[in-house]
Amino acid sequence: MSYKVSEEGNITTIHLDGEIDMDVVEKAKEVIFPHIDSGKEVHLNLSQVQYMDSSGISVLIESHQKALEKNTKVIIKDVSKSVLKVIMMAKLEQILNLE
Amino acid sequence: MSETALINHSEKKAFLVKSSSLKDVRIFCREVFEKLKIEQNLKDELVLAIAEAAQNIVKHAYKDEPDTKDIMVVEISCKNNKLEIAFYDMGTPVNPEKVKHRELDNVKPGGLGTFFIQEIMDVVEFQDKKKKPWINHLVLTKQL
Repeated sequence: MSYKVSEEGNITTIHLDGEIDMDVVEKAKEVIFPHIDSGKEVHLNLSQVQYMDSSGISVLIESHQKALEKNTKVIIKDVSKSVLKVIMMAKLEQILNLE
Repeated sequence: MSETALINHSEKKAFLVKSSSLKDVRIFCREVFEKLKIEQNLKDELVLAIAEAAQNIVKHAYKDEPDTKDIMVVEISCKNNKLEIAFYDMGTPVNPEKVKHRELDNVKPGGLGTFFIQEIMDVVEFQDKKKKPWINHLVLTKQL
């Protein structure tokens, strides 16, 4: 998994690239969580993520819940068809902020 | 079901029990399903189910042994349009009655891997009759 972070105002955009599984999940948390903890609105761009398993889905849930605690939000953007299918299988499309 | 294959075919491969093997498990599955000419959507689902089962071995059967040198074996067989995927490991014995996914309404991290496996496959069962030296023998089946 690789990533790219850009910031504009109060919004941090994180582009993730590759496959998100148990092996990279700690790295994903290290990349995403500090931005949420700092109170920024985080946009997670998943257009280049073609595979995500339950560990990756857990990171999305944890990010969402952490953002609520910090009175901010995480918006998941440009999710690929294959990852959207997994999100929908877990019935999370109404819970997570998808754009 | 989609236009499926299929030829009778069987392949197995051993992997070290560690999280970095999960990518190799997926590569192996994709290669086998390519040979079986399984269409993309179904292939994606099957790869997810298999990777989740392999992840459960790493995460649960070897929970207290992160530095194990043990291997796990994944065997994919297709016969008469029935796909059977077997997993063998030598980790902590699994009590099938305790293998449950979380309720989907109770949104929290974790507990989804088993749900995905059950959602995708027709049958998920641990075999009672062990093949030595294996401790756990999980079989996932799906009619194609």
